[in-house]
Amino acid sequence: MKKFLQKIPEQVKRLSILLVVVVIVFIIATSLLTPKDFGLIGHFRASSVQNNANKKMQYAGQETCSDCHEDMWKTKNAGYHKNLSCEVCHGPSLNHVNEPDQFKPVKPKGRTFCPVCHEYNPSRPTGFPQIVTASHNPRKICITCHNPHNPTPPQTPKDCSACHAEISNAKSVSSHMDIPCTKCHKTSAKHRLSPREFLPTKPTQREFCGQCHSKEAKSDESIPRINMTTHEPRYVCWQCHYPHLPEAQ
Amino acid sequence: MEELIQHLTPILKEIWGYIFPNEIELHWGILIVLYPYLTGLVAGAFILASLVKVFNVKELQPTYRLAMLTAMSFLIVAPLPLLAHLGHPEKAYEILITPNSASAMAMFGFVYAWYLMAVLCLEIWFEYRRDIILWSQKETGIKKWIHKIVSLFSKDISEKAIHFDKKWVKIITIIGIPSAFLLHGYVGFIFGSVKANPWWSSVLMPIVFLFSAIVSGIAMVLVLYMIITPIRGKQLDILCLDKLASYLFYVMIIDFSLEALDFVQRVYESEESIKILAYLVSNKLFISLVVIQLFMGMLIPLTMIALIKIFKSPPDLKKMVYFISAILVQVGIFSTRWNIVIGGQLFSKSFRGLTVYKITFFGLEGFFSAVVIFCLPFIILYILTKILPPWEEVRNP
Repeated sequence: MKKFLQKIPEQVKRLSILLVVVVIVFIIATSLLTPKDFGLIGHFRASSVQNNANKKMQYAGQETCSDCHEDMWKTKNAGYHKNLSCEVCHGPSLNHVNEPDQFKPVKPKGRTFCPVCHEYNPSRPTGFPQIVTASHNPRKICITCHNPHNPTPPQTPKDCSACHAEISNAKSVSSHMDIPCTKCHKTSAKHRLSPREFLPTKPTQREFCGQCHSKEAKSDESIPRINMTTHEPRYVCWQCHYPHLPEAQ
Repeated sequence: MEELIQHLTPILKEIWGYIFPNEIELHWGILIVLYPYLTGLVAGAFILASLVKVFNVKELQPTYRLAMLTAMSFLIVAPLPLLAHLGHPEKAYEILITPNSASAMAMFGFVYAWYLMAVLCLEIWFEYRRDIILWSQKETGIKKWIHKIVSLFSKDISEKAIHFDKKWVKIITIIGIPSAFLLHGYVGFIFGSVKANPWWSSVLMPIVFLFSAIVSGIAMVLVLYMIITPIRGKQLDILCLDKLASYLFYVMIIDFSLEALDFVQRVYESEESIKILAYLVSNKLFISLVVIQLFMGMLIPLTMIALIKIFKSPPDLKKMVYFISAILVQVGIFSTRWNIVIGGQLFSKSFRGLTVYKITFFGLEGFFSAVVIFCLPFIILYILTKILPPWEEVRNP
């Protein structure tokens, strides 16, 4: 053994001592610094769950609201805002539940809160009610005309453009600008009230566009013509041409 | 709230197209640009040092120890930008004592520790051991004790022990090359594995990072050598400079080819992101990518070094060209990191819009703190050269 130890170079001995010291320090540091409850239920301190649970509650939850405001809650759940919880608009209100007279929930009164969802934004889905606040009754606050618990429009929309502004804007600069929407889309009157349940139709036959664009059509001479039998006979026209702006490539 | 609005209002005016609300402000700023830049210098300087020991490039001997100390001083500072960015440096030890093996970022703590302790410290120790012992014998006072402690009170300077040291320097360097690749390859991996970001997500990313790291490391040692030597009143070794410049040239060619390959592949694949990326490159990143990274940082130094090599030039002209090229390369590589880190956050994941990066001057994540962190390695290098002088003339015969 002594011979074996003598054979080990001096440097290795010294480095080994250093390595052993580093490893021991690391092991001691790990055992001292790792929280006792670390890793019991996952890669975190088990007590952090309790720490979070101990935080002061802020929200009451809409079921609690319904205990006292059942009528309003039912109205809301029957309307378009059924997916919004009361505290989305009225703010965290647990204080109000505990001491109804002392704490009153907020009511968004101005013109800034509703546009968080309803300001015009091209990435929002078509048909989602959107306005441009600068031009939409600029001096009125939203809730004078709209009931937020049952937010159906105060008047049924008169024009298609009220909801389909983007399409309407595109069509207004195209050669189809004079064609009314209803020429191509048969639209039930109920679409205005329940837009998603009563969808408008779309032309399904090539002959529909052919009324103006086929060689035989009796339309204005300036309208572009095609041979209906040879021009891509297997496709409906709007699969290739965008009818709201046919000039677009 | 007011502060936030004031901060975001000027940015909102410069947004182009449509972007998601959480993309307006960049989450990774100049500190995260600095981090891969500093780590790259470490890996590059180490690879340069390994040329001497493993590949026996004798001409580079004057820069060997300097390169090792440079790698060391930059490695010590490399995690600082991350600590400053995350904002809780007092919690940093937690990633070591409660390691999460599923997190690439957490595992980096171990890659870093391995590289610092098992590679750099050990190699420097074996390389310097004999000299430290001899220095401590001649010295008095605090310097003697520093050297005694650094040498771990080792005394053996027999022929056999020196031979053992030399053998281990070589072995550690051989282990160190894949370790250096791992260290900086990891940084590329972190970006390359972000699947949702088409600017980053590329298998080539770790390799491109690695080669640009080697380029920057060689250039940094070249600059340091050319600045320090005249300050010390010594002559520059022109053979060493020629060799450094040659290696810089070769690695830059590889780096350039890899980046060109990445570019061609992206253009050929033409995934749905190509339009926004093309717009990004031709607008927001035009100056930093095309002008600084490509022309100033790559093509001009390549051409200058090539011309110097083709036409036999006087040594003074050579030195000037090498120095300017190395500085340009530094600027170019910093720009590369900038374009990757900042560029990857400038476009919307909707591929329909671009935002802008407004750098702040003060604050933990500002320009000023980046400058301070960038200066630190040079101060550490100065201290290290006082404790472990890398100069040829102080080596004991």
